[in-house]
Amino acid sequence: MPAAMSAEEDLADVNRVLAGEAQAFEGIVRRWQGPLVNMAWRYCRDRGRAEDMAQEAFLRVWRGLAGWRRESSFSTWLFALAANVFRSELQRFPAVNVPLEDVAEPAGPATQHDGLAEKQSHDAVRRAVLALPQRYREPVVLYYFHEMDVGAASRTMGLPEGTVKARLARGRELLRRRFPHLNEQNTPQLSSTLRPKKEVLQ
Amino acid sequence: MKSNLNPETDLGSIDAILSAEDELIPSSGFLAATMERVREEAAFPKPIPFPWLRALPGIALAVAVLGWCGFELVRAVLRSAREISFAQPQLITVNIHALEPAGWVAVALVVPMLSWILSRRIAGRSGLL
Repeated sequence: MPAAMSAEEDLADVNRVLAGEAQAFEGIVRRWQGPLVNMAWRYCRDRGRAEDMAQEAFLRVWRGLAGWRRESSFSTWLFALAANVFRSELQRFPAVNVPLEDVAEPAGPATQHDGLAEKQSHDAVRRAVLALPQRYREPVVLYYFHEMDVGAASRTMGLPEGTVKARLARGRELLRRRFPHLNEQNTPQLSSTLRPKKEVLQ
Repeated sequence: MKSNLNPETDLGSIDAILSAEDELIPSSGFLAATMERVREEAAFPKPIPFPWLRALPGIALAVAVLGWCGFELVRAVLRSAREISFAQPQLITVNIHALEPAGWVAVALVVPMLSWILSRRIAGRSGLL
């Protein structure tokens, strides 16, 4: 669905909800359930919990709809609010207590053609993100959730882009040090299909 | 410690791995469950906000009266303290008697305040505030 159309539909649904038509909120949930559940999943890596957190975020959206000032787009406001909900939920009950050093070491480059080993290796890297210190974890989570768009990540976090870039660089550096084998293990098919934006890499 | 790793290659791999997440499809009941909770919320009457604007004159008056009482109390205590003498212990009783009205004023202020705090807590527990 084109972003402009979604924005128009969001606006129309918001206006209907504010006019007292609670059922119009269903359109918002229908359009945004996928992104919000996926975002929550990246915060906790637990499917059931991700859905609970996304549902809580929708309820907060419902309660706070009148407070949306329309200075930013609906999606920006929605993601920022959801990030707040997920952050507070995870502060109450952390998703993982394993220190970064204790995250299982993935298989080495010798097994790079083994599909299962590669999947395990990738899972280990993704789990390691949750083991990052909180100030670095969220920028990393949101940067990849927003398809490597620092601006979107910083708007969601409500922080200046420079701060997000610095924390992101530090978070990625910690991951790189934790998984030095990735240096030797070139992932050609992934690297060729996914070209990261170079704006934050250094 | 200086790293001997190649940041470009490493970050490329990390980017590739973290970007290539499978998309999670919300469970079939997610939409219905969420809307059910939204409808429950909508069915509840909205909490009545405390009328701060209307209460403001009363609060200002209470603060002024309280301040005046406090001022009078301190003044009475200081006056009594000046009059107390170890050579005349019988006068202490007289001065304590002089403080009695101030004590009653203090009690009269504290009791409604406690009552107000208690009622706020009870109302808060009932979900009204």
